[in-house]
Order: sequence, then C-alpha cells, then structure tokens
Amino acid sequence: MIATLIARNTFREASRDRLMVGLMVAGITAMIVTQIASPLALGEGTRITVDLGLTVISVLGLLAVLMVGTSLVAKEIERRTIFNLLSRPIARPHYLIGKWAGLTASLWAVSGGLAIGLWGVLALRGAGDRAPAMFQAVYLAGLEISVVVAIAVLCSALSTPVLSSLYTLGFYLVGQASGDLRAFAGQFPEPLATIVRGAASVAPNLPLFNMRSLAAAGDTTSLVHLGIATGYAFLYVTCVLALASAAFESRDFK
Amino acid sequence: MHSQGIAMNRVGTDQITDAQSVAARADRAVETCALTKSYRNPWTLKVGRGIENLDLTVGRGEVLGYLGPNGSGKTTTLKLLTGLHKPTSGSAWLFGVPVHDPASRRSLGFLPEQPYFYDYLNGLEYLEFAGQLSGLGGHEATVRGREWLGRVGLGDRERTMLRKYSKGMLQRLGLAAALIHDPELLILDEPMSGLDPFGRRDVRELILEQRARGTTVLFSSHILPDVEVLCDRVAIVLDGRLRRVATVGELVSDSAQRVEIRCTGRPVLEIPPGLAPVLERRDQPHETVFVVNDDTRLREAIAWLIGQQVELRAVTPQRATLEELFLATASGIETPAPIRAGRVA
Repeated sequence: MIATLIARNTFREASRDRLMVGLMVAGITAMIVTQIASPLALGEGTRITVDLGLTVISVLGLLAVLMVGTSLVAKEIERRTIFNLLSRPIARPHYLIGKWAGLTASLWAVSGGLAIGLWGVLALRGAGDRAPAMFQAVYLAGLEISVVVAIAVLCSALSTPVLSSLYTLGFYLVGQASGDLRAFAGQFPEPLATIVRGAASVAPNLPLFNMRSLAAAGDTTSLVHLGIATGYAFLYVTCVLALASAAFESRDFK
Repeated sequence: MHSQGIAMNRVGTDQITDAQSVAARADRAVETCALTKSYRNPWTLKVGRGIENLDLTVGRGEVLGYLGPNGSGKTTTLKLLTGLHKPTSGSAWLFGVPVHDPASRRSLGFLPEQPYFYDYLNGLEYLEFAGQLSGLGGHEATVRGREWLGRVGLGDRERTMLRKYSKGMLQRLGLAAALIHDPELLILDEPMSGLDPFGRRDVRELILEQRARGTTVLFSSHILPDVEVLCDRVAIVLDGRLRRVATVGELVSDSAQRVEIRCTGRPVLEIPPGLAPVLERRDQPHETVFVVNDDTRLREAIAWLIGQQVELRAVTPQRATLEELFLATASGIETPAPIRAGRVA
C-alpha cells in the first residue's frame, strides 16, 4: 500500500516533469523525420521505420533513466524532501520499491505512447502486419528499462546524481557488451580474466531484451524467449532492489 | 526438581518484569536510554560527536522544550527519534515501540527544520499524500487536507503549486502535514524559525491547541520566550550531553531573586556600607532605580529609602529570564550536575 502511494507520487512527479514531455516530443519528431527520409532507403523504408522507431524508444528510455532515474532518491536526500516521508510509518525498502515502480510505470507509459505512434506510422505505410513483432520488441525494451531503472535506484540511493548517472551508464554499457566480455575474458591473463568475467556476470544481460533486428524484418520471437526475459528481469530487479534496500537501511539523512 | 522449579519461577519473574517494563514504556511518549550518535569521517576516520548517552523521558501529554546552541545535538536527537538517523548505541522508544520499527512512527507528526516539499504538487495534493502515508484513507485525507489548509490559513491556496508558496506558507503547510493524521506525538524542529511575528503567534497557538487536546509535543527552539510560554519542562543540551531537565518554574525559582525599587526624581543619597553589597543604583532620565540583589534584605532597603524621604513609585520582583538561565548554563556559570530526566505523566 505504502509502496503504491510512493509509486503513484513518483509517476505524478515524472509525468509533470518537462523533461519527459520533451522526450516524448523528441520521439515523435524522430519518427516523422524517419518518414521524410524513408524514400532514400531504397525500398527498405518499413524496415528502417521499425528499426529506428524501436531504437528511439530504447534510447529515450535510457536518457530518461539517466536524467531522471539517477537523481530519483539522491535528489530527495539533497533537497531533504525525504525527511517528510521517512518520518512516517514507512519501511525504507517500501520507499525504494515505490520509487522504482513509479518511474518504471511512467517510462512504460512513454514507451507505450511512442509504440502506438510507431504502430500508426506502420499502418499508414500499409505495414500493419509488423505490429505483433514491433509490440514484442517494445515489451522487451520495457523490461530492459525496468532493469536499468533498478540499477539507477541502487546507485541513486548510495551516491550523488552525477555519480549515479555515470555508474548507471557504466552498468548499461557493460550490460550491453556482457556476452562479448564473457567471450573475451579467456583472452586476458589472470586475474584480469576473472575480473572481466565477474563484471560481465554482475552486469545485466541486456542483449536478452534486444529483438530490434528481428522486429525490423517482421519476425516475432518465441513465447519461451519472452518468458525467460520476463523471469530474468524480475529476478534481476528483485536482487538489485534487495541490495539497494540493505544499503539504504543503515543510511543517515543529514 | 527443586532447582528446576526455581529456574521456572525465575523465568516467570523475568517475564513479569519484562511485561511491566513494556507497559511502563508504552505509557511514555518518548524514552531514550544511553542514546548515542557519533559520526565517523570516512577519510580522516575522526569521530565527531552528535549526542552522547542521552537518557530522556517525555510523558504523555507533556510539552518539552529541547534547548541548546547550534551544534549541540538537538536536531541529531530529533532525527534519531524519527528514524532519519540510526543510533551508534543505546535505544529509543516512542510509545514503547523501538524507533527502528516503522510502526513507532504511526502516531508521530514531525516538522523538520526548514522543511522542503515537492514543488510539483499543490497544497492539497501534498496534504493528501502526507495523510495517506500516515494511514488515512483517500477520501478522509482529502477532507482533512482541506480542513487543515483552512486552519493554517492556506484555504485559498489549495490549488497553488508549492513552488509559489512563501517560506512562511511552507512552514504552515509543514505543520498541517505533521498534524493531518491527529498524531499523539508531535516533534517539531525549530518550528518558529524564519517566521514573522504573525506566523510565530499562529504556530504558538497551534501548539497550545495541541497541548489542550492532550498531544505530547517535543520541540527544539532558539526563541526562548516562546519556550517559556509553551513548555511544561525544558531540557538543555550542550556539546551533545543533556545538562539539565526541569520545569520552567523550577529553573526560574532556582535563580537568585532580584527586586527593583523605582523612585521619582534623582535623590542625592549615599548608600550605607551595610546595604552596599546588595543594593545597586541605576540613574535613568526621569527616575532612579534601586536594585536589591538579595530579596531577604528588601525590607531593610525600603526602610532606608523611606527614611531618606525618597518617593517610591514601584517595587517589582525581577525573575531571571529563561534566556539568562540558558546562557548561564551554556557558559558554565551555573551548570548543575547532569540530571537523569524524570517526570512521567
């Protein structure tokens, strides 16, 4: 109940943030520009529309996390608004869960809005049959955003907004390259190999949530893939929020 | 068998003692036992002291003023009680519930020093949110939010975004947020700071109103006349240690009594050697004031003045103000041995 209240307030905060509106406008503008430039794509206009549209959704999601998510908790501590919350009967883990859920929900809403816009563009192009693949890809992008928001909440609970942005971006980049890092680890001498393998294991396996190329070709993915990605995201978010809660529990607010 | 019986009796006695101490603790609004908070600098590893071995009890329905100079540990104590800081050692309870348990804050209203709010919310939205976090239902929070906005003089600002509120308005909104769920314990950190005289009067009246309805109030303040008016007891903390807990009356009656004798004109007099140690003359433009520093010699001083044909206008006892007593305690002139805080309502 408490987490829901905090999530609702965080959603309200994000939805009233001009940055989110700006990102939404930027996403729609990018889709329009894609349509203007699509005649140059030599018959691959639909493919490029889907690919760029999904990329825009993912990139804007990441930008929102870096600009809003990483200051989510740190800003409350800096501005001392957290005093008004944690002096009420609120367990600190519930506060973090609420923050994560609120921002995740608002980013899902933005992604959903952009996905509907992309679907409209595809329908106008007569490629409405690519909608199932496109919506699957947006769903996976949403899961990816949920994972990155959890990391942002962890960093934000422990550090300043600027450092949190850098840490989150680092996790994101390592996560995107986690498969390659694991493969390359064998090429490095010890103990570097173990460190690289460890970093690749701790960082989220973000390529699991990427099916943009598949969707651009109009191919859907299997329900098993979607199930595994959902389960993985749920487990990863749970672990990260548990870690954040443990670290946050002993923190003093000055 | 016999020893087993004794052991069982002991267990039984311990359980009764525990149950009694829990019941006694629940009867107190605030209790701390050897509560200590120290801060370690992560780079220099130097340990800074926040508060040390604080033993304090605040009974239900009591208003306790928590005084001390800047950096003495007042805010640290209040943050420890409200769960914003974790104690280094010692324990604290609110209504018998340990402060590390969020349930201890169910009946708590807290106003931090210089409160900050979400500037993307309006006044009513903020109070609704605050009320719901403290356990009110959605509709009830809205009704009480409107009621409290009216009571703190912000009834016509319920749709104004908080970024447009003045400092005084935010302070009043903070009080409304602390009171919206009718808490049994109100902890206020410098509630009068930054307020104009009207704002101070409003806050003072709100505290008096809460006292009348039986709410326990613990507040820190630098504005000693307000403390004098509002508090049942005063606790003085210096350098992280509790130095004194007493009623305002006790503090004042402990001090030496002075009496002022006002006389018309400026008579030419020489104070006799016998009265010189206790009688002081202060010439003022239209009158002369004689100050008797020892009230047991008052009769003697008056008799001498009348004998000198001086026209007396007023004889007024002068009590030391709380401010004077506080400054005396702070400067170590009159620093009694630390007292273990005592009264339980």
